[in-house]
Amino acid sequence: MNPKDDQSKKPDVFNVSRRDFLKSASVGGLVTAVTAVAEVEAQAPGAQVIGPGEVPIQLNVNGKQINLRIEPRVTLLDALRMRADLTGNKRGCDRGACGACTMIVDGRTAYSCSTLAIEVQGKRIRTVDGLAEGNKLHPVQQAFCDADAMMCGFCTPGFVMATVGVLEKYPKATDAQLYKGLDGNICRCGTFPRILEAAMKVRGVSRG
Amino acid sequence: MAKPQNPPAGQPDKISDLVKKWNWPEKMTVVGSPVKRLDGPDKVTGRAKYTFDINRPGMMYGKMIRSPHPHARIVSIDLTEAQKAPGVKAALNYKQAGAEVMYQGDPVAAIAADTEERVNDAARLVKVQYEVMPHVALVELAMAAAAPVVFKDGNVRPGMTQENGDLDAGFKDAAYTVEQTYSTHVITHVCMETHGSVCEWEGDKLTVWLSTQGVHGTAQQLAMALGIPQTNVRVICQYMGGGFGSKAQAGAEALMCAKLAKAAGAPVKMFMDRKEEHLDSGNRPSATASVKAGVSADGRLTAWDGQTWGTGGAGAGSNFPLPYIYDFPNRRRSHKDVFTNTGQQRPMRAPGHPQGSFLTEVLMDELADLVKVDPLEFRIKNCPPLAANAMWRSYLAEGGQLFGWEKRHPTVDQTPGPIKTGFGCAVNQWGGGGRASAARCEITPDGAVALKAGTQDIGTGTRTIVAMVTAETLGLPVSAITPMIGDTIYPACGNSGGSTTAASVMPPVRLAAGKALDALCARVGPALGVDPATLVATNGRIHVKDNPSKGMAWKDACRLLGTEMIATDAGWEIGMSSTGTSGCQFAEVTVDVETGIVKVKRVLVVQDCGIVMDKLTAESQVNGGVVGSLNFALYEDRILDRNTGQMVNPNMESYLLAGMSEMPKIEVHLKEQRERGVIGIGEPPTVSTAAAIACAVRNATGATIRSLPMTPQKVLEAMQQQKAGGLS
Repeated sequence: MNPKDDQSKKPDVFNVSRRDFLKSASVGGLVTAVTAVAEVEAQAPGAQVIGPGEVPIQLNVNGKQINLRIEPRVTLLDALRMRADLTGNKRGCDRGACGACTMIVDGRTAYSCSTLAIEVQGKRIRTVDGLAEGNKLHPVQQAFCDADAMMCGFCTPGFVMATVGVLEKYPKATDAQLYKGLDGNICRCGTFPRILEAAMKVRGVSRG
Repeated sequence: MAKPQNPPAGQPDKISDLVKKWNWPEKMTVVGSPVKRLDGPDKVTGRAKYTFDINRPGMMYGKMIRSPHPHARIVSIDLTEAQKAPGVKAALNYKQAGAEVMYQGDPVAAIAADTEERVNDAARLVKVQYEVMPHVALVELAMAAAAPVVFKDGNVRPGMTQENGDLDAGFKDAAYTVEQTYSTHVITHVCMETHGSVCEWEGDKLTVWLSTQGVHGTAQQLAMALGIPQTNVRVICQYMGGGFGSKAQAGAEALMCAKLAKAAGAPVKMFMDRKEEHLDSGNRPSATASVKAGVSADGRLTAWDGQTWGTGGAGAGSNFPLPYIYDFPNRRRSHKDVFTNTGQQRPMRAPGHPQGSFLTEVLMDELADLVKVDPLEFRIKNCPPLAANAMWRSYLAEGGQLFGWEKRHPTVDQTPGPIKTGFGCAVNQWGGGGRASAARCEITPDGAVALKAGTQDIGTGTRTIVAMVTAETLGLPVSAITPMIGDTIYPACGNSGGSTTAASVMPPVRLAAGKALDALCARVGPALGVDPATLVATNGRIHVKDNPSKGMAWKDACRLLGTEMIATDAGWEIGMSSTGTSGCQFAEVTVDVETGIVKVKRVLVVQDCGIVMDKLTAESQVNGGVVGSLNFALYEDRILDRNTGQMVNPNMESYLLAGMSEMPKIEVHLKEQRERGVIGIGEPPTVSTAAAIACAVRNATGATIRSLPMTPQKVLEAMQQQKAGGLS
């Protein structure tokens, strides 16, 4: 898991935005903390070795069970994009910096390019592909369309999911919470002002 | 009134009767209104299929093998181990033994395998033996006397010296002079969707899904490179994730993808990863100017003398306009291109202009301070005279008022505390305008309307404005039009570059739709017993112009076609578009003088663009231009290691880009020049924000930052220098 929102109830070590992370990482404190957690997990007794060949996995995506055979190294994003034709979420940087791959896993936004598919089995995965109900757009999607909160649109699925994520956590998010919730995503066309406009407009609007 | 645009070669040079009939009317109901992007729902739901999303049955994944060295000779390329790796279906040389690689990331070979993981594994088995050669990564190293001569004809290509007026007289008139060096850095396009394609052969016919700014242009390039007729190449690009100038050429990556697909006998998808994208998909060249400039005691520019240089990488040019816009009556400039062992530049949003703007505007503020004239007033005084494509005097005055320029304090904010505020402004110009393009309008007996044009929507909203112009012409709602673009099966249109798409494509769209309506009216006239020339189409009806009740509904009119359909073609014609825009921007920043961190609080834009097509998407483009220039000013930087020639930040976390928290408030004032037709607005808004920010930082702190990006470190250094030496 690579939670990118700041509302996690998990240990404080994950409770950082990308920029905070870079700031902290530069002085080394956070890096040490992350390493410490990882080491504890790696040394847990009875750890099961999976792979390196293909293994069967089952994912719960947008309310449906998907059965795949993948190598354990395959990310959630690549598993869904290349094996399940769920191409809505995009790969921009492939290392948890741009946010185009943002999905919601068990209620928390996650960079799916930096999440292994095998580790989210049994969790509730939501991608942009499953957000609308038929032709009825999610209020966040509608707000993006109304405000022209997109240009080329390649980052848009990630921004939509990040907006949904922060507003599900904080339906009446403060401006600061909205900024924080969207700070993990990059738009190269420069659509930010209208993404913010869309997010602010839909704040407090319940799912239609 | 501006001179109408000169027609592109081979195009009509007189305003035709067709244009006289169908030129943009005074009043339009759809065009210019804020129409929501038609493909918005597809983009927000993930249904929009970008090239990166195309998955074909039996598709392989391609991977380019690239040079890790900035300069080397290839001794040998051994693909045998890679060919034996699991899942590998094709392996091809791009370069041959004996050839040189000129930059890190220079393509050498390509392979394809059945999964992306396996092709990445196999790529590690390709054995390329290199004889490493001396390299020059940085401009100053390449220019140094002791530098190894890396490029056949030298590392430096001197250009011509341009001279106007009398330089000596100009400097004699100067009460003050400034002698300084200004520079901008190399940045990369960082398209969110990297460069890539999916190639599929059927016999000798090739279909290419390509992330491109020009379906027809790249089809031509690929056909030539593959030695097959262009009619055998179909390029499709329905959605593309950003190009900014870097996706107008097919590139080695698309060519090799096609060759891999042929060799593998299967469709192949090959996309650059983020690192490859930084290294080998183009960049904005650097620019440096060593300048002496003079100003008279009464605040008139008198002279400008400068040596300029820049690098566009391994063998590419780096020129830019300078001095930018302002009227230096006596001037001399010589430019040289410096070659370095780095990836070649490609056009990047307003090529040359952001560089020229920064290199000129900071100097302008320095000169203004020397003669103690307000920098806005100083600019107005020294701008070229007003013309349709040169509205700066008017826009600066208007923008200053809207921005609240009168609240600007003289250089150095005296407010106590570490946060200082400053204002800055800068001007821009751009060409835009139309070029050869074509469109077809089809009306079927059921009343459906398709508008086909082989252009592409690179995020600017082209698909939407194609439908809007058609709807306007036919008197129908936008939802009644099916715009069909992004495919070489449609009439040929030019690349989407140089802010030319709207000005190139909208005239033929309007004319094709107009011709189609004429053809329909030819059927409706006799049915109504009236002269077809008296008919107009409004609100879904075709009726007599002066008698709206004498007419029929659109669907009834189309039914008169029986089993035939209307299909009308039109090309670009003179008289409906112009070239040449002008604009200016104002920025307010805060500078934390303890940390050196600059925050842009607001940016105000005054920009003209001819007729606004879609108010909503036009404003989005301006927002995007501002954000791009903000990144150029403060954050992004292609950082190279001087010793190894390696890019040290080929990613998106240490190649810094602004996020939501870095956004200023952006206020857009579009100045329509309706009599000039369509012009284009993609590039001008990204020219001057960086310069306006630099001037605002100087206004806040008194520190003059003469090189981009304005990192906290540079801000602090400039402040220290200023403390030591006073205002320079």
